[in-house]
Amino acid sequence: MIGRSDPPRLQSYGSGLDGLVVGSTDISRVEGREGRLYYRGYDVADLAAHASFEEVSFLVLHGNLPSPRELRKWNDELVQWRQPPEEAFAALQRIPNNAHPLAQYRTMLTVAACHIPEAENTQLDAQWRRPARLMSWAASLAAAAIRHLNGQSPVQLKENLSFAHQFLWQALGRNPTPEEAKAFEASLIVQAEHGLHAAAFAALVVISTGADLGSAVLAGMGALSGVRHGGANQLAFQMLQQLEGPNHARQWAKEKLNEGFRFPGFGHRVYKSPDPRVRVLEPHARALLQSKGLGRLWETYLALRETIEAGLGSRGIYANVDGITGLVYHPLGFPASAFPIPFCLAIQTGWMAHCLEYLPAGAMIEPGSVFLDK
Amino acid sequence: MRSSEVIKTVDGYYDWREPSFAWPVTTEVGRGLIGVIASTTKVAWLDPASGTLAYRGVPVEQLAGRVGFEQVAHLLITGDPPEKDPAGMESFRSNLRSSRQLPSEVLDLLRDMDPVHTHPTRLLRAGVSALGCHELSASDDIAGERHWREMRIVGQVAALVAHIARLRAGRKPVAFDPDKSLAESTIAALADREPDPADAATLDLLWVLYADHGLDAPTFTSLIVASCLADPYYNVVAGLSALRGPRLGGAVEGVLQQLLVLRGPEDGRDWVGSTIERGGRIAGFGHRVYRMADPRVTLLRRELASVAKRKGQESLFITARTVEEEATRRLAPKGIHVNINFYAALLFHLLGADAPLVPCLYAVGRMAGLVARVREQIDQGRLFRPLSHYTGHGKRPLPEGEDA
Repeated sequence: MIGRSDPPRLQSYGSGLDGLVVGSTDISRVEGREGRLYYRGYDVADLAAHASFEEVSFLVLHGNLPSPRELRKWNDELVQWRQPPEEAFAALQRIPNNAHPLAQYRTMLTVAACHIPEAENTQLDAQWRRPARLMSWAASLAAAAIRHLNGQSPVQLKENLSFAHQFLWQALGRNPTPEEAKAFEASLIVQAEHGLHAAAFAALVVISTGADLGSAVLAGMGALSGVRHGGANQLAFQMLQQLEGPNHARQWAKEKLNEGFRFPGFGHRVYKSPDPRVRVLEPHARALLQSKGLGRLWETYLALRETIEAGLGSRGIYANVDGITGLVYHPLGFPASAFPIPFCLAIQTGWMAHCLEYLPAGAMIEPGSVFLDK
Repeated sequence: MRSSEVIKTVDGYYDWREPSFAWPVTTEVGRGLIGVIASTTKVAWLDPASGTLAYRGVPVEQLAGRVGFEQVAHLLITGDPPEKDPAGMESFRSNLRSSRQLPSEVLDLLRDMDPVHTHPTRLLRAGVSALGCHELSASDDIAGERHWREMRIVGQVAALVAHIARLRAGRKPVAFDPDKSLAESTIAALADREPDPADAATLDLLWVLYADHGLDAPTFTSLIVASCLADPYYNVVAGLSALRGPRLGGAVEGVLQQLLVLRGPEDGRDWVGSTIERGGRIAGFGHRVYRMADPRVTLLRRELASVAKRKGQESLFITARTVEEEATRRLAPKGIHVNINFYAALLFHLLGADAPLVPCLYAVGRMAGLVARVREQIDQGRLFRPLSHYTGHGKRPLPEGEDA
């Protein structure tokens, strides 16, 4: 048990710690059969419709929606840390443009980490001062990494913008429309936390060594970069892009279904009914795509999803969040290789919440392995 | 083995080898996942009850002092003892050594980072991250080349550490001589002259003993990241993020900070007494796994005695020995024994490293086991995704007027 209460002492589990209950958490609840996701008791669909990312990040970290006064304070804290150290931008000039943007962003973060105040202080109160710094620095650094792909220089901050709006401004170098900002913010909200997935678990192991929160986030980012995890949204979009239209999508999906192909962006270990995050994001994606004259891409996605779900839905395989986020990020103007970045900006909120929840009791996490002689 | 049988573990390790192991398993689950079996491995076997550590079946005592780190890295990563496959060993060695040529931009990046004042483990992590950007582009399909790149990382980390040591000392970067081993080049970088072969042998010994030690937190972190099929630079950045924590790398560093200020054996004995009486911790003591003296300590104690003599620093050894004896006398009844870091930190110091650099040097050795286990994970593993119980707030509607 790694959390706060004692586990069942004796447990059976499989490879990948499959089925092992490692602890308890108050942060989120995933209802796989009904296809619902709750942060601290609130349905994400409600949060995405009515709350800001600032409110949701406060909720995920602290356990309650902020009062107006708490929200002002949290906002001020986030705004205060929007300017990352210059050294992190200088680091960008030392790495090639064609490196993966997430790896570029990772490098900037490893450099920025040297300039965080009280860097080596890992007392609990110092760790609680880190989420705002990490979130705001990360957004600005990630935006610069995306621009570096095309050899563009970073965009200066603009005053009085929300977290989501500011990131879009700095990444795209233009003012998003209200619809764009709303769609993007919804994508951040629905991806802000998702239980103890592999990346959150990696972050937890790092925080258990007494490391700082930034180090834990770097480990989570590593897990997220993998094609089995955050990299899946890039793969799902690339699959969609090679389809010529709805008819081709239907025909191709039928062929692949017969071959037993595993479609990126479909199926989930926990959700055995439609992914609640997909239901939130689909209307945003459709509106954005149609407003940009990309309605055909939407039709293609829909044809693909309906064909695959008709074939596999009875086995609990439905479109997952990785399949839909690209359809929000592409019409905004992000290259496919940058799709994991907004996911990372959102989900690190959950990683930090899990780390901060774990810390007061924290034993170092070190399981064993079996030596196979043969 | 039937899954209904409960597997008895000693803190998650086993006093037997299990050729017929099969998932699922039933074990006890303790705090920090003590007792849990997270993976199967052919890399190394650790038995805390008998004090055995064996790499690919070879007890570490048979390797330490006889075989260099490059050969042990080959053994751990490929599974073959060097004498079984001399040609393979030769190409492994030449890959390892040639991977030390780093892009000049990576050295520029380190130089930009105020290397004299920035903690070396932070420099190392940034260096590995930047190297990943140079090695892999956004359009690379990493799957095919994965293993080749992971082996390069061992040499690259050694090179980064050597560069960081020189930058900290305000020295110019050096090119690495392909005729020199990883240990020889690192000693040359630390000492800024032709390496003393005896010093290189000591560094080899240290790296061999640090090369693998089961699923410690840095290695486990790397395995989780690898299980998501991340590229190897992410695995290592994540592993280094755990390694630099105060309970691991920081603890190694702490040994030196504590021992080098002592004025001699008497002072050492007094300091141990007063520290323990006020409930303080003695760095270099206590181990998660061993309830007995760490088997690697005997080898390192002997090595420190001889290196200290060679360098005219016998008093340092005598002080350390006195501190060990006094702390053992007081702590052993509580099951707290000296660990590898105690003597290893002093050895790194005698080889020319200051305290903050010590965790970086230890990381070089650990890369061998970490890479070996990451390869295993990728070849046979599945995604790590344990479960947690939800104990939080029940479903609730948004408060009235909540609309941003």
